[in-house]
Amino acid sequence: MPTTNRPINAGSSMNDDTSRLDGVAKVTGAAKYGRDRYLPNALYVALIRCPFGAAEFEGCNEDAAKAIHGVVDVSVAGKECSYHGQSIGHVAADSPQAMVRGISALKVKWKRKSVKTRISDSVKENPAIGDKAKSILDSAELTHEAVYSTPVQTHSSLETHGGAIDYTGDRATIYASTQGTSSVKDGLSGPLGLSQSDYEVVCEYVGGGFGSKLGGPGKEITTAAKLAAKYKRPAYLFCNRSEEHLDTGNRPSSRTLVRVGFKKDGTILGGEVRVWGGVGIAKGGGGANIPSGRYQLGDISKNSEDVSFNAGGPRAFRAPGHPQAAFAEELMLDEIAAKAGIDPLELRKKIVKDKIIQEMLELGGNLIGWKDRKPNGSQKSTMRTGYGMGVTSWGSASPGGEAEVVINRDGSVESRTGTQDIGTGQRTTMGIVTADAIGIPLKMVTVRIGRSTLPPGPGSGGSVTSPMTAPTMTAAAKDAKKKLLNLLAQQLTLNADDLDIKDGQVTKAGQPLLSWADACSKLPNEGISSDGGKAESGKGGSQGAQFVKLQVDTETGVIRLNHVVAIQSCGKVICRKTAESQIIGGVIQGLSYALFENKILDRNVGTMVNDNFEWYKILGPSDMPHIEPVLWAKGQTGIRALGEPPTIPTAGATACALFNAIGHPVRNLPLTPDKVLLALEGGVA
Amino acid sequence: MNKFSMAQPRTPAEAATLLVDKRFSLPMLKAGGIDVVDHLKEGLYQPDLLINIRRTRAGDAGTANVSEAGGKLRIESSATLADIAVSEVALRLAPVLAQAAGNAASPQVRNVATAAGNLLQRPRCWYYRHEQFDCLKKGGPTCFAIEGENRYHAIFGDGPCHIVHPSNLAPAMWVCNGTIHVIGGDRASLPIADLFHMPERGVRDEHNLKPGEVVTHLTCEASPKSGFYAVKEKQSFDWPVVAAFAVLALDGPTITSARIAAGAVAPIPWPLPNVAAALKNLSLDDDVGLRKACALATEGAKPMSENGYKLKLLPVAVRRAVLIAAGRKMEVEA
Repeated sequence: MPTTNRPINAGSSMNDDTSRLDGVAKVTGAAKYGRDRYLPNALYVALIRCPFGAAEFEGCNEDAAKAIHGVVDVSVAGKECSYHGQSIGHVAADSPQAMVRGISALKVKWKRKSVKTRISDSVKENPAIGDKAKSILDSAELTHEAVYSTPVQTHSSLETHGGAIDYTGDRATIYASTQGTSSVKDGLSGPLGLSQSDYEVVCEYVGGGFGSKLGGPGKEITTAAKLAAKYKRPAYLFCNRSEEHLDTGNRPSSRTLVRVGFKKDGTILGGEVRVWGGVGIAKGGGGANIPSGRYQLGDISKNSEDVSFNAGGPRAFRAPGHPQAAFAEELMLDEIAAKAGIDPLELRKKIVKDKIIQEMLELGGNLIGWKDRKPNGSQKSTMRTGYGMGVTSWGSASPGGEAEVVINRDGSVESRTGTQDIGTGQRTTMGIVTADAIGIPLKMVTVRIGRSTLPPGPGSGGSVTSPMTAPTMTAAAKDAKKKLLNLLAQQLTLNADDLDIKDGQVTKAGQPLLSWADACSKLPNEGISSDGGKAESGKGGSQGAQFVKLQVDTETGVIRLNHVVAIQSCGKVICRKTAESQIIGGVIQGLSYALFENKILDRNVGTMVNDNFEWYKILGPSDMPHIEPVLWAKGQTGIRALGEPPTIPTAGATACALFNAIGHPVRNLPLTPDKVLLALEGGVA
Repeated sequence: MNKFSMAQPRTPAEAATLLVDKRFSLPMLKAGGIDVVDHLKEGLYQPDLLINIRRTRAGDAGTANVSEAGGKLRIESSATLADIAVSEVALRLAPVLAQAAGNAASPQVRNVATAAGNLLQRPRCWYYRHEQFDCLKKGGPTCFAIEGENRYHAIFGDGPCHIVHPSNLAPAMWVCNGTIHVIGGDRASLPIADLFHMPERGVRDEHNLKPGEVVTHLTCEASPKSGFYAVKEKQSFDWPVVAAFAVLALDGPTITSARIAAGAVAPIPWPLPNVAAALKNLSLDDDVGLRKACALATEGAKPMSENGYKLKLLPVAVRRAVLIAAGRKMEVEA
């Protein structure tokens, strides 16, 4: 497919036209995910879970469960539970049906206890202002004090957490859904009762993880592994949708109090930020990255604390701590701009620290049509249009992991690394960098990834997969190429320095010498392989700016998203389409967070009432705006982060656009019609 | 999910017989299967017989799923929502039905969900649907919504259960003076107005069909000036938080009579006779009068702790449904 659909990105990447190598396999079902591995003679395992926010286990009918035809193993370790979804044992059976019948036959008795379900159950009032902040605000020309809050967002991976284990007695293959093939391998020796050399972890495709599938096999795969070892047969445990919402992590909720003083010209003098992170039963992980450091906010102090309640704890979630913070920070800036009577784009140009982002602000403003933006609240029509924006950035990562490139005698090339593809396009980018480094067409390269028996690669977290593996793979490919050319030079008594490979042709001093096939036929039987070579380090972080245009129906409070411009730098772009896809995906996740997503716990019993995709609402096709990813090519070197930064500013930019349209801020995500209507009436929403 | 038998009756009469077959303790009809399968997965139903009426038809094999019969609109019970949404006959005779059907759920659901199944689907209340909550509807002692999470619950009715009726078609049928045709009992039909009851008249079920009665088809009056408007949080695959349905008779710009109902606000399709009365003799050009009439929609409402916002939405939705019925442009259209 040519690049004509996004002319602005044409020519910005190493490969402009290649579609995802496994795209067809994924949409036809030929790609087998871990969850698709229904192995013969497998045990189907489910965890027994507490249905309430807080309850005491009072007993259950284990015998009745064991008596169900097909139920093989029941284990209950009764205890006090403190969140909906907490597991207290398992049922294993010959079929998924028997497994469900077994769970239901247990008829667990619970004694419900009182619960806390949200930050506001513990934090009811704003603490007194600190002395330093007070003096800044007292002497400032203008001040702003507001509380911004965000709900719990679940990862909502389409492929749920779990694994299928093919256990043959002295060997095992683990089909895991993971962001870290190596870490799953590392955690399973004990549960499987096998040496690490006797099993392989396979994860060729992942149906979403977003951070929640890092950190080893987790209790799902560990439980399945133990049962596989105990019964010496395959075992399968994958969460259902409810369990996935309840007990596989989330983006914690937040409450952010800001108190800032600023000048009439928009110069922000400082103040204080206090953050409360809603971490459920976890001990930490509620931090929010405000102030983000992307803006000059003066002398601003920060206090952050975690707030517990009866819910599953957070896990890393695509830019942990950032989207909730960017929501507060960006909307705060728009409110400051409104009070100072300054255009919020001009305010940001003035206070944003990064020079590249400053340039992006100019471009994005032009692309979204910022000049058509009307002053906050100036529109009187039923449908009102709003423009908002936000910025993003991400740090750098150094090359790492291991990779191997094999050139076979028949001319085929293998690009090998154990790192999994969590949907970003790892398979495709590995192929592209290999082909590019050797000088052959991509179709000559077969990419092998997602196996623990391949050269180990990093876990896919922190947007490091490409920054780490692409330079390493490139180095291996360059080294394999060098070996090939040295060998040819030896055989043909030529100077290796005169030889090169271009478009699948070996050249001498720029002139065609040998076809690729002829060159490879001169290799020894075993071909050439390289796992070495020095990876080039590409220093530098990623930057971005996003602009949202939307319309608000002021009679219903319903928001219609029109257009999002998402400008993003990420070093040298390897593959245009998968890079654009990453940006679009990040924006969609951010928009969904802005408008809909909300884990709702019943306030009295602590049960999640919307543990499904019916009432846990996610942006759908009809809600989707025109999303325009813009790859920032100017001055970019090295391979940099792209996974996380595009989801950071979206919700904030959306809230700013709503504020612009209706003239009142909605400081509480998600931006649902009830809150929009309340804000229009001047209420604090 | 337990084992169950599956029956494939050839006629609605056969289906009706199976429904009261004493060999089975819980025989259930399955048409499109959307709501039945939901209940099976939710652990709420354990039928021992599923009677598949997806392809069981009352009329001649040649009859279209949506047709005109004696000036009325006729919809076979197994017509899909997609059939109704795109039916030229429905769009001409009762556009409110076509619009309501086309707005429901997702394309995938509309392609299998049936007319009768849509009318008779059980409520979507998250306490009812959650196996763990022993709510009134499941024989328990409490409605959890009263003290709990009720942002999508009813703003009308005295309880004791606060579900909202989920069907888009039922209020549409109501404004079109629809009739439900049944077999297997001692009556051939009942008006749509008699199909549902409020929770105080029985909280365990929502409709008034008798055991053994099977819906064969629906008919309704030709209502060419009719319209539907729903406020939904999401525009893809979401339930309305408020929906409004209008049938008008017009003399020029003047409304000579109206039938108005609302969905998603009460345990049954909610008629709004006071709005209809206020609309009578009103000119569509009198927007102040129109808004005043539509504001009457919330009379008698008793919002719960979290759903007061629906009071703001209901008059808006009603006014828009009236404008659509009259073929007028709304200010929110592009």
